Amino acid sequence: MMSTILFLSLLAALLELDTTYAFQFLVSRPIIAGPIFGLATGDILAGIQVGVFAELLCADVSPLGGIIPPSGVIASVVPLALHHMGIELYFGFFIGIIAAILYSYIDTYLRKTRFTWMVYVETKIAKTPYAVLHVLGTSLLLSFLVTFVFVSLAIWISMWVLAALFPYLNFHLHLAFQLAYMAVPWIGLATFIPIFRLKTR
Amino acid sequence: MNFWIRLNMFCRSFFLQAGWNYVKYQNLGFTFVMLPFLRHLYKKDPSVFPTVLQRYLDTFNTHPVMASFCYGAMAQQEEIIAKTQSVADYKEKVQDWTETRRALSITAASIGDRLFWGTIKPLTLLLAIFVWMLMGVNFFEIQASSQPTTWILWLVPLGVFLIYNLLTWLIRWQGIKISYRSDISSCFGLTYFDWNKTIYYLKQLGVILAALLIIFAFCLYFATMEQFDIHFIAHTILIAFFVLFSFVTHRFKMPNVYLYLITVIIFSIVCSF
Repeated sequence: MMSTILFLSLLAALLELDTTYAFQFLVSRPIIAGPIFGLATGDILAGIQVGVFAELLCADVSPLGGIIPPSGVIASVVPLALHHMGIELYFGFFIGIIAAILYSYIDTYLRKTRFTWMVYVETKIAKTPYAVLHVLGTSLLLSFLVTFVFVSLAIWISMWVLAALFPYLNFHLHLAFQLAYMAVPWIGLATFIPIFRLKTR
Repeated sequence: MNFWIRLNMFCRSFFLQAGWNYVKYQNLGFTFVMLPFLRHLYKKDPSVFPTVLQRYLDTFNTHPVMASFCYGAMAQQEEIIAKTQSVADYKEKVQDWTETRRALSITAASIGDRLFWGTIKPLTLLLAIFVWMLMGVNFFEIQASSQPTTWILWLVPLGVFLIYNLLTWLIRWQGIKISYRSDISSCFGLTYFDWNKTIYYLKQLGVILAALLIIFAFCLYFATMEQFDIHFIAHTILIAFFVLFSFVTHRFKMPNVYLYLITVIIFSIVCSF
């Protein structure tokens, strides 16, 4: 179990770099990352479903300017890791979405922090231009480590919390989470028409 | 600019946002991308390097793919600056360079955001869902089910990956080349292609595809229902409610993720009674 969490966290941290900081091949978008995590956890169909649902929920927020949308990678990896450990997908998805929102705040904080050493960095780069390589490398490494720690903790904590709460989760709560989970594709699909109609020209 | 410098800039362009920060945005990444060209241009006079780099370390923010048009244009303008003979001429050219960078980055960002984030990304998502549903994947069950063998399902993410990346790689590569060879009259090559018309038609296609997908999803969902009874009616009302609710919340600019969290709370309250 420990090795699975570490492996998934490592994979998520690598894919999360693709979201903004490096490459941007969009391998990090949930419809691609979801099936990859699904393959890693042994349930590709669950990966596809979570990937599609996560992307449908995140489709209406674009990374324009300083806006940081909820992370699609986090929203995919957390439910699939929890599902692999025997927790229902509809509970896992809820936790995944909360983790994705939380992560966007952490990312915002990271980007703000980066400015505090900007003056020092600029002076250094002007003197030795290749210092920019070290600065960007450090920045990427820091983002990678933060994501890795965040995903590991998110999976661990939610797993233990859910395990402790499980006896108290009654039939009504299961039904509520199931219904909300099944509402996700309709919520997502309905926003497509406004997405395409707004700012047409 | 020779082939190898362009290739170097192209490869480095994938790290444009590596040092993204809230005050100068992509300035570190922009400097990193332009470094091979600047080193080549000023190899005979490296003493000017710190002054030149100060300009590149100023605020820069644009779309990561369309930024390629800025690299070529800035390189061309930098060559003009490097050839200046007097201080007055130098100041004038630096002023031009600064204005071009600002104007071009805003224009490229506007096109890139609308084309890639606002059109191509949602369009490929719609296509992926469509193809998966045609392959027999049923998303409308708690545990998704499917008829085809799993390897066929991988064709969809692979297709999405290829469509997006072939297009962006082409723009990244050609953008540097075209903007380096063009001038301000063509907005450094940006006007060679009718981006607005393309975005317009793709968005129209998106509306049609979205409407078709909703109808298709409705049909598929109800086809899986076994009989016309109270459950069928309840489900229909529930789906119609969410579609309408989603339209309303979108008008108030509430993101879908928060709508989902509200839905969980509503259902938890309703189901507890």
